[in-house]
Amino acid sequence: MTATTTEPRPAGKHASEQAAETSPNRPRRQRPAIGPKLVNSLGAAVVIALLGALWEGYKALGQAWDDKIPGLGWKFPVATDDMSMPHLSAIFHALTEPASRADSTTLFSYLITETSVTLREAAYGLVAGSLLGLVLATVFLYSGPLRKGLMPWLVASQTVPLVAIAPMIVIWGGKSGAPPWVAVTGIAAYLAFFPVTINTLRGLRSPSRVHLEFARSIATNRRQQLFLLRIPSALPFVFAGLRLAATASVVGAIVGELSAGTGRGIGRAILTFAYYYSNGPEKLYAAVLVAAVAGIVFVELLGLLERLALRHRHTA
Amino acid sequence: MTTTEISAPIIAVDGVSKRFNAGTDKEVTALENIDLAIRPGEFISLLGPSGCGKSTLLRCLADLAEPTGGTVTLNGKTPRAARQDRDYGMVFQQAGLFDWRSVRRNVELPLQVAGVDRATRREKAEEMLELVRLSEFARHYPWQLSGGMQQRVAIARALSADPSILFMDEPLGALDEMNRERLQGELLRIWSDTQTTVVFVTHSISEAVFLSSRIVVMSARPGRIAASIDVDLPYPRTAKTRTLPEFFDKVTEVRQALYGAPSDQAV
Ligand SMILES: Nc1ncnc2c1ncn2[C@@H]1O[C@H](COP(=O)(O)OP(=O)(O)OP(=O)(O)O)[C@@H](O)[C@H]1O
Ligand SMILES: [Mg+2]
Repeated sequence: MTATTTEPRPAGKHASEQAAETSPNRPRRQRPAIGPKLVNSLGAAVVIALLGALWEGYKALGQAWDDKIPGLGWKFPVATDDMSMPHLSAIFHALTEPASRADSTTLFSYLITETSVTLREAAYGLVAGSLLGLVLATVFLYSGPLRKGLMPWLVASQTVPLVAIAPMIVIWGGKSGAPPWVAVTGIAAYLAFFPVTINTLRGLRSPSRVHLEFARSIATNRRQQLFLLRIPSALPFVFAGLRLAATASVVGAIVGELSAGTGRGIGRAILTFAYYYSNGPEKLYAAVLVAAVAGIVFVELLGLLERLALRHRHTA
Repeated sequence: MTTTEISAPIIAVDGVSKRFNAGTDKEVTALENIDLAIRPGEFISLLGPSGCGKSTLLRCLADLAEPTGGTVTLNGKTPRAARQDRDYGMVFQQAGLFDWRSVRRNVELPLQVAGVDRATRREKAEEMLELVRLSEFARHYPWQLSGGMQQRVAIARALSADPSILFMDEPLGALDEMNRERLQGELLRIWSDTQTTVVFVTHSISEAVFLSSRIVVMSARPGRIAASIDVDLPYPRTAKTRTLPEFFDKVTEVRQALYGAPSDQAV
């Protein structure tokens, strides 16, 4: 999953990209945004086709020019032989072949099975991490000393390299007799809670002065202020955090699998294919492709939830 | 009711002062020694130049700020107790509606916080929306309304818990002239329908004259009450009221209280 870098973008107000423009006055229901949606999916398809064409075009040029730019003699940055860059058709074909000599299931269904193992770990980790993040943010909202005291440690926890943390969690998990997937889930949660904490806290503090003063004027108690004003105001921020957490939890689950020696999961599969790269480079590419697509689906499912939760908002 | 009871103030302000950042070099005396008594059913405008402390005074009345000296009494209680009893409703310059709630559910909010059951508060909200003539927009969301409509929702919201007092801090300040005059008319109708006592902050002289039964003119730095002017134009006031000579006389009188006697000098 090298494709998903998790640059924490600033905790913006709205994570969703396209705001269906609706005329300010009339409609009772938001107009079903068929038009923009279709345009978006078409755009996505065009981008994918272009990327494919780029891959094949680059490869074809390299093959024709022997990996050198004619006249200048500069070498191509990446070699274009079938070992370095298999044809797209070879990658897709590999998906339909048996995964290994020992069993007859196709590579595709093997990868899907392994990916679903990983995504389940990631999903559990995301849920656990997010719950922790939500609780931490709420506690921090009401306790300045706790926030100031704990925040540096939370930041530190995220800057320690995962490759150092993961084996520790795996060993603790093993000592307590829990099955390996628990440790993997723990690692996913470990990466997921942080963006949720930060974004939720910011969201809980986002109500404007006029909202807070209005709430005071109608004599809301603390609990009402939290549930009627602060949490609804925080939702767009929470979802921005959840998106970051979702990608982080997938990364965590994959890295966790590598440390945990579970023998299952897409991380495991990728490692195996990387090891036997020279026997079939297209298998590694196929595995990465499936992992990437699965990651996108995972995050987009969350986007669906977000759209549902924020459906009445102007910015949603 | 005896006469003394009728004239007993619903809002009493005694020697109220408000200093910000006291003891530092940023000290500001926003209010100094304000005395004011408001009788039930009055429509009071607080009028004065920018920064004279109108909002600060209103916020002291509403327990959104605490005076550094003097006392405020609403309905015979401290502002805090009055706030907790929801004796007043408040409308701000920005409507401040909750984006994620429909118009009706925004209006229901004070009732929901008060623990009123769903059916009752729904009924009440619809009644309030009728009052501000927005019934057909009950299921819209705030961002689907114009600025003036949002402000009317804010008024409905402020009145939904049947407060005896309505505080308004430049509620029409962000509107264009036409909307503004239309809403001034609506506001007078709502005032007479609901019989609330209104304290209305503005820096428009004609708005104050058109709306108020009494105008409290404030002067700046430190904020003091410069004059209290009764506006004896008869209610109901209409578009025609704005054209009467008495209206212009009143505007002139208030302007003089604000700036002093007119001269030939450029202002
Ligand atoms: N929170 C605060 N901290 C410090 N000074 C303040 C604060 N709020 C108001 N002031 C000061 O108090 C004075 C009165 O402010 P206030 O907002 O009451 O004026 P205003 O009459 O409502 O003005 P405007 O018509 O522009 O709204 C100003 O000098 C302002 O700088
Ligand atoms: Mg003001």
